[in-house]
Amino acid sequence: MSVATPALEVVGAGHVAQPDRPRLLRVSSLSVSFPGAEGRESEVVSELSYEIAQGETLGVVGESGCGKTMTSLAIMGLLPSGAKVSGSIEFDGKDLTAFSPRQWRNHRGREVAMVFQEPMTAMNPVMKVGQQIAEVLVKHERLSKRAAFGRAVELLASVHIPSPERRAQDYPHQLSGGMRQRAMIAMALACRPKLLVADEPTTALDVTVQAQILDLMLELQDTYGTAIQFISHNLAVVSEVAHQLMVMYSGRIVEYAPAEDLFANPLHPYTQGLIRTLPDIAQPMAELYTIPGSVGGKRPSGCRFSNRCPLADARCREAEPALREVTLSHHVACFKVN
Amino acid sequence: MLRYTFFRLVQAAFVLLVMTFLLFMLIGMMPGDPVENMLEGNPALTPELARQMRELYGVGVPLPVRYWHWLTAAFQGDFGFSSLYFRPVLEILGPALLQTLKLMVATIVLSIPLSLLLGAIAALRPGGWMDTAISFFAFASISLPNFWLSLILIIVFAVQFGWLPASGTPLADNPSLGLQIYHSILPVTVLTMFFVGPLLRYVRASMIETMSSDYIRTARAKGLSETTVIVKHALRNALIPMVTVLALGFGMLFSGALVVETIFGILGMGKMIFDAIRYVDFNLALIGLLLATIVTLVSNLLADLAYAWLDPRITLK
Repeated sequence: MSVATPALEVVGAGHVAQPDRPRLLRVSSLSVSFPGAEGRESEVVSELSYEIAQGETLGVVGESGCGKTMTSLAIMGLLPSGAKVSGSIEFDGKDLTAFSPRQWRNHRGREVAMVFQEPMTAMNPVMKVGQQIAEVLVKHERLSKRAAFGRAVELLASVHIPSPERRAQDYPHQLSGGMRQRAMIAMALACRPKLLVADEPTTALDVTVQAQILDLMLELQDTYGTAIQFISHNLAVVSEVAHQLMVMYSGRIVEYAPAEDLFANPLHPYTQGLIRTLPDIAQPMAELYTIPGSVGGKRPSGCRFSNRCPLADARCREAEPALREVTLSHHVACFKVN
Repeated sequence: MLRYTFFRLVQAAFVLLVMTFLLFMLIGMMPGDPVENMLEGNPALTPELARQMRELYGVGVPLPVRYWHWLTAAFQGDFGFSSLYFRPVLEILGPALLQTLKLMVATIVLSIPLSLLLGAIAALRPGGWMDTAISFFAFASISLPNFWLSLILIIVFAVQFGWLPASGTPLADNPSLGLQIYHSILPVTVLTMFFVGPLLRYVRASMIETMSSDYIRTARAKGLSETTVIVKHALRNALIPMVTVLALGFGMLFSGALVVETIFGILGMGKMIFDAIRYVDFNLALIGLLLATIVTLVSNLLADLAYAWLDPRITLK
């Protein structure tokens, strides 16, 4: 997949961080765990702390199983039943962890919306596309069904879907993958949410369509001033859109920095590894780099990356390094960084 | 859609033709001689008359030849005479089919909403106490034999308490609708008990699968209430596989109805076919079984049309 994604030249060039914006989301010490076998709990997200400013894009990068999706579901209040959450999620001054189910329902879809990875399965197959978009407006803006459907057509037009009146009457299976993802974005942005959580929104799409969807998201961000939490396993994709970048490994943040800073000066061995895995257009014949080992399985003691890290020593296997700020706004969790 | 329906009807007619042959052969191979039965019932029948009767009924003529005679007659609208009732078979089977259909339609009308409700409730919290209770009910429904449940209900509600009649047929000549319903309560209850169990198991499984699908998460992400998510998004999707189960269950329900009719003394298809086979009434058994085939074919066609109606991804061509 990553082979065909935009090449390295554009890395970090997409957006420039704008530091003075007011804060929208603050997550502090968020942990999510599930009850496992024999009363043991398995923690999928550990002690996560980060912030998103209004209108800003935070890229969240990591391999499958690193806790990216669980983090976004926690922000949406959509964690599967049985999940135990600790820490706090503050959104626009409100503490989401104290929300009642009713408050959550009023929050979701209006203040924060989500775009999912699979546009093929994320839409109800037996409901018209326009109706699925209109539903959000009926719920949150109290529009009549008719008015909401009219707005749905406008929204489909705003995400550049040709002949939106006809498409609104179509069922999801009649749309192409790219169009479906556009419709999903229209659905998510229907009530102009302050935060859009995009969980691998381009992963399931063709490369050309990927670029179009990314452009669309940036365009809509400029128009509406929506903040985006953009989750991806693909650094090249994230580099196009993110102001801030957060690299996750095994449920923890290992590096957290402004995007261009992180690309110019990656500090954590894992981040360095990830960047090395990107194909280099200057050396098309070179063998692609892979980080040895895989995420998951039994967690090593000490630093969670220690069993795959080329630099790990005895100390790394004993204690877990805390996330600390090494240069301005550049955070890393590694003993080997001074 | 019209073209599809027409095509399916032609197909059904062909299946029906094949079925006439198979059923004719099967019934023809049954042991027993209808004239022997008549002789037993009427000692006044002379051997000469018996010989004439055998000739009339075609005893001794090879089966394929008899089939051909029957088929040509059938295409001219003559479906034969019942040796048991001494009347044309359609005259007897018409009202009987109506009785059975009434019983089945009442059962289906009750079973579908009941199984949807119970199945959906069970699927909300798989493994919860509601689910356990409903699953227990489903297993009881699947395991209890029809005839046993019928007898128990008769003993309790008709004999002990005397609240309900033990017979499924009112004695009055032109029974009012209310009276008919009153007499149908017990048989319909038995059939519903019999039908709801398997149905609700399917609804439950289908709902659990649907509730974990991506579009349900999308619906929740929109901030919709749980009721809206279940009723508007999950139920219709969960219904689609139900159509197959219903169509297949129709045959099962028909055979269930046969047993229940016999116990409650309802003059329906079940009793007709049962008696026809028992007393070697060749024509009655044949047409009775063919009507059952038609009912099954029609229910399958309806199921396919229902699919297209429920699922926009299916187009009938």
